[in-house]
Amino acid sequence: MSGAVVHASVSSAEQPLRAEGISPVVDDPLELARFTRWEGDETAQRIGVSSLQLSGMHCAACTGLIEGALTALPGVLGARVNAASQRATVRWDPARSRMSELLAAVRQAGYGAVPDVAASAREQRRAEQRSVLWRLFVGSFLAMQVMMLATPSYVAGPGDLAPDLAQLLNWGSWILSIPVMGFGGMPFLRGAWESLRRRRIGMDVPVALGLVVTFVASTGATFDPGGIFGHEVYFDSLTMFIAFLWFGRWLEMRARHRAAEELESALAAMPETALRLLDDGSVEEVAVARLRPGDRVRVPAGAAVPADGVLLGESGGVGEALLTGESEPVPKRRGDTVLAGSINVVAPLEMRVERVGADTRHEAIVALMREALSQRPASARLADRVAGPFLWVVLALAAGSAAAWSVIEPSRALWVAVSVLIVTCPCALSLSMPATLVAAAGGLARRGVLLSSLDALQSFSQLRTLFVDKTGTLTADRPVLCAAEPIGPDAEIAGEADRALRLAASLARWSSHPFSAAIVAAAAEAAPLPAGGDAWRDVREEAGFGLSATDARGVEWRLGTAAWAMPTGPRDKLGDGAVWLSRAGRGVARFSFDEQLRPDAQETVRWLQAEGIRLTLLSGDRSGRARQVADRLGIADVVAGSGPEDKLATLRAAKVGGEVVGMVGDGLNDAPVMAAADVSVAMGHGALAARRSADAVIVSGRLEGLADLRRSAVLTMRIVRQNLAWSAAYNASCIPLAMIGWLPPWLAGLGMAASSVLVILNAQRASSASANARID
Amino acid sequence: MDILYLLIPLSAVLILVIVGIFGWAVYSGQFDDVEREGERPLMDEPEAADGPGARQRGD
Repeated sequence: MSGAVVHASVSSAEQPLRAEGISPVVDDPLELARFTRWEGDETAQRIGVSSLQLSGMHCAACTGLIEGALTALPGVLGARVNAASQRATVRWDPARSRMSELLAAVRQAGYGAVPDVAASAREQRRAEQRSVLWRLFVGSFLAMQVMMLATPSYVAGPGDLAPDLAQLLNWGSWILSIPVMGFGGMPFLRGAWESLRRRRIGMDVPVALGLVVTFVASTGATFDPGGIFGHEVYFDSLTMFIAFLWFGRWLEMRARHRAAEELESALAAMPETALRLLDDGSVEEVAVARLRPGDRVRVPAGAAVPADGVLLGESGGVGEALLTGESEPVPKRRGDTVLAGSINVVAPLEMRVERVGADTRHEAIVALMREALSQRPASARLADRVAGPFLWVVLALAAGSAAAWSVIEPSRALWVAVSVLIVTCPCALSLSMPATLVAAAGGLARRGVLLSSLDALQSFSQLRTLFVDKTGTLTADRPVLCAAEPIGPDAEIAGEADRALRLAASLARWSSHPFSAAIVAAAAEAAPLPAGGDAWRDVREEAGFGLSATDARGVEWRLGTAAWAMPTGPRDKLGDGAVWLSRAGRGVARFSFDEQLRPDAQETVRWLQAEGIRLTLLSGDRSGRARQVADRLGIADVVAGSGPEDKLATLRAAKVGGEVVGMVGDGLNDAPVMAAADVSVAMGHGALAARRSADAVIVSGRLEGLADLRRSAVLTMRIVRQNLAWSAAYNASCIPLAMIGWLPPWLAGLGMAASSVLVILNAQRASSASANARID
Repeated sequence: MDILYLLIPLSAVLILVIVGIFGWAVYSGQFDDVEREGERPLMDEPEAADGPGARQRGD
């Protein structure tokens, strides 16, 4: 951690901007590392990217307030808030600001914020659950009681109800409405006050206005029946309105909490403590945050690996299901890499720590997921932009109809304005999109498809052309080496094939390409490879072509496609799908592989084609072989023998027509192509580079995940359209009714609350089982 | 009908008391995990704490 942060935490005591309850402990670099990813170089300026868990948000407009409060601070480079998941991602400069200041700024804006580490987030969820349940109960229980007290005035004939009894009933309703206003209405009033103070119109403003106007007018009518407010009381509609608001919010909170819990349970594999081996052979238990690169750690059988590192001994097997999608435990040898968050299945192992905290691959995946949750999709941003003008129009309509009615019939002017304010529900407008997308992402995560960008759902639902990588995507990720043939003058010498294989394997260990892995696996099967490896220098990997390195005598060796290994070699050997080993440009050995189609490839391809998606096979292999695979799957278009640039050009050409173009791939050589596609999907076992540029990751490694994604995307977009259509139709029909005075405030409250509840319930369908049913 | 002048204020007070009791129940955590209370009779041993350690002992 940089010295700047340590220095900053020392001087934080004299900072003026401090809020109650924020401990400067959050400025401790160790503590920061738990929810912060560092960007930039080690020495000079580092940029922190921190996740915060927010509370107290009621509407999409709050995101703007919190973002504004954060970006107003010096040192904050950017802040992004997602209303649906209640998370914020802040980019900040630790040299110019402190985490405790950021938290204090959010609190001063009227919201809660804690670092997004699971424990405190869980505590916050529990507190929020209690508070919402409490407000829902106060609202709904008291609304029923107020309704009972209000019933006599509805059913009594003229003169049946004595004036003093009516007065007593009104008084009873007033008493019971006070807790509802205090507990249930206050959050809206506070929200409205905050947004007014910041000169921003939030969704709370018209709600609070309606509440205050209704309560004040009814109170006046209760205590002064002959006064300016008339004698009608509306405590029943007021309390019912608040109860409905909280019911909608309760449903939304449950959906959000469920999504958060799913994410946490999927990613909470990290242990709290680790067993560090000391030099004298003893073992001490330390917090995982205290581990440093270079430490030696013992991991008991059945425990999770605390950090990324290298094995110091043999291990029976490590389960990496979450990190790589590989469900079987992977046997590991001395010198192999083990990843944080994987489970040590068989016997205790010892390892040397290489990367800790936010730098580990596990944390990279966690960060990917968090980023997706705190991201506002383009469509939701549109809803935010619409919300402001929408509110002004509503306020203008309310004022206009009040003015008109004060001419026609002054006694009804107030109530018409109130019902116009209450009936308009922009919540449905700005709530539907994020709630639906988050619900869909939660449902997909359960099926092993992680979305790193919520926009992917929209693009995937409009997908027309899908480019599919062959190796590792349509075919099983592990090709099997079927032949190693030495060529050249020494070819006939016995044992030469084995020597060539071992030589190739020592070089292939530097790469994570499936072919390299197959060569290493085949060589290791014959005899264990030495731990240190051979003395290769200047090893480099050219994506899509192969590896090159120089040996101890300075001779260049290459391992890869024929064109790469033998630039001047015989042309007829080019692009035959085999991997060649060459010494100074002369072929030494040829390795050929067998590929197996994934078991679910055929039905997934057929299903996607039935959906009207045009599939194109992209492959670096020679055309004959790619053609063969395509024919077996029934794919008509094949672009074979192409390197990354050719793939990119093909994809760009397809995009020219304006169609939505997708790309599914796995390896290193796909990353630029994926970045260029409108929507990209990475298979879970692929290189991390490809995942980084992917919009979705199929962690399970099943191709069926593509069908799940498509089905869920189509359903999600249909639900979003339904919700938008519903709120538009609702407003279009109710606002005129309210303006001409046919809609009493209680019915307006019912309508608004019901519309919110309907939208949220509809959004929940996106995560339902039917959206994720298997292909039959 | 005169009894209404007593009953209405009485019911208002009673309702507020009920709301108070519910508030105490919510904030003392009785609704945090409703399912677990139902499963409690099925557990072999009483749960000592909400820790993973408590579960491991049972296996």
